[in-house]
Amino acid sequence: MLNTIQTTFSNIKSNKQTFLVSIATITVAFSILGLFLVIFVNLNTFLMTWSKQVQLIVYLEDKITGDQKQGLEKLISINSDVESMTFVSKEAAWQGFKNTFSGNSEVIEDLEFNPLPSSYSLKFKPADDRFLRIRQFADLLSKRPGVESLEYGERWLGAFEKFMVFIRIFLLAVGSLLAIGLTLIISNTIKLSYYSRQDEIELMLLIGATPRYVKIPFLIEGLLQGLTGGIAALALIKAIQLYIRYQFQGSLESIARGIEFQYIPQSMILTVLATSVFIGWLGSFISIRQFLHVERK
Amino acid sequence: MIQLFNVSKTYGGVTPALIDITFSIKKGEFIFLTGPSGAGKTTLLKILFGAEVFDRGQVLVHGMNIGKIPERRLYSLRRKIGVVFQDYKLLARKSVFENVAFAQEVIGADRKRIRYKTWEALKNVGLTHKKDFFPPQLSGGEQQRVAIARALVNSPRVILADEPTGNLDPEISLEILKLFERTKQKGVTIIFATHNQEMIRSRNHRVVVLNRGMLVSQ
Ligand SMILES: Nc1ncnc2c1ncn2[C@@H]1O[C@H](COP(=O)(O)OP(=O)(O)OP(=O)(O)O)[C@@H](O)[C@H]1O
Ligand SMILES: [Mg+2]
Repeated sequence: MLNTIQTTFSNIKSNKQTFLVSIATITVAFSILGLFLVIFVNLNTFLMTWSKQVQLIVYLEDKITGDQKQGLEKLISINSDVESMTFVSKEAAWQGFKNTFSGNSEVIEDLEFNPLPSSYSLKFKPADDRFLRIRQFADLLSKRPGVESLEYGERWLGAFEKFMVFIRIFLLAVGSLLAIGLTLIISNTIKLSYYSRQDEIELMLLIGATPRYVKIPFLIEGLLQGLTGGIAALALIKAIQLYIRYQFQGSLESIARGIEFQYIPQSMILTVLATSVFIGWLGSFISIRQFLHVERK
Repeated sequence: MIQLFNVSKTYGGVTPALIDITFSIKKGEFIFLTGPSGAGKTTLLKILFGAEVFDRGQVLVHGMNIGKIPERRLYSLRRKIGVVFQDYKLLARKSVFENVAFAQEVIGADRKRIRYKTWEALKNVGLTHKKDFFPPQLSGGEQQRVAIARALVNSPRVILADEPTGNLDPEISLEILKLFERTKQKGVTIIFATHNQEMIRSRNHRVVVLNRGMLVSQ
């Protein structure tokens, strides 16, 4: 074991420059990916914060019948996306309106009839395609008799949600391409590391080393490259995130209270590290498979 | 026990390096393998430790059928064999001591044993005083003795020595020959390839002669 680690480090030492360049490349690639991730995470939180406030308000006609009302309530209660439903009667709406605008009370109290409709206000459970579901449900409700009109929050949030789906696909595509590129880079570094010690490895095999004994230091070397690159990238992104937070926290607060520029969540940090280690291992595995075939001519 | 049956081998070209070779060597036997340059001595030795494939025939070493051993299990054959390579194959980046110890390391011996065995092997070839030198700082003969020490350090059952005294003066050659003969006394099978007819005549060992890939006498 100790021996294996020594061999790994002497491998790295005899091939230092390529090793470092390889790590730098991995760092840069993972930083790019990580920055996209940070942007994605923050946009997503932003979207979530806003969409918590989104509700679908169903305004009812004054002449709605009890049957029609029951039908509506049934329809709403069987929709599993709906989190809660509150009925606001004409009177309650009027009271609320008057409370809000108490300053202008002379004008309002002059009105001798109540101009506000009664309504249901629906909250929805969080879901990735929440807006699509709200829109579809709104379309359905609007065709019901007794429904005067519908209103659901900021429509632009719907477009924003679509954009997030696009970003997700984009991240996946960029991520896969970078992963393939990195695997090739690491496999190339390992190949160079092998060539710099080819005589030694051939001798090892000739005097009775097992193929596994020869392979393991290279696997560790690849793994180390991936891990070091991954950690360096995470640190770099952290620095960028802190910078943005201190520079722009004020302007973020002005857009939405309580929002702050976040780092990648813990679970994703682990995913990034696991991926980088795996890519390192895969890269060296690929090149080891190639060069251990020269054992017997 | 080493047995060869009708072994033939051709490298890329047209002229075969070995033609229909059949002979056997008993366990604990010492044989000289000789013949002019290009006769096929090195090729024969390479086949015996699985460093070169052959086209036809059967080769058995200590009951192992060489042609049938898969690459990933060749190490079990090679651990029974100590090879003195004709071109030494010393690692220039490692010291004399490290070069010899290397043969122990790669088969996973523990540190204490490595130190003791390496020292003993260097003592046998008279090179303890050069243990911290690097191969490029040694004379040809000294390098050759490092290669011999490395072949002996694992106490192999078989020793394949390819021109182990080619670069040594008569006095040291005799010392090395005696070292191999002492090793033979412990039951080790030895194939000693050499051009040195004088050395062959001075001893009573069996002689296998190759010429242009053919077995001339044994
Ligand atoms: N790797 C190779 N590729 C092609 N031909 C080879 C190779 N190795 C050896 N040969 C040829 O095979 C023949 C036998 O070579 P080999 O090295 O076995 O001879 P040898 O008896 O060891 O000679 P020497 O006494 O000079 O060491 C030679 O004609 C040589 O040119
Ligand atoms: Mg030869």
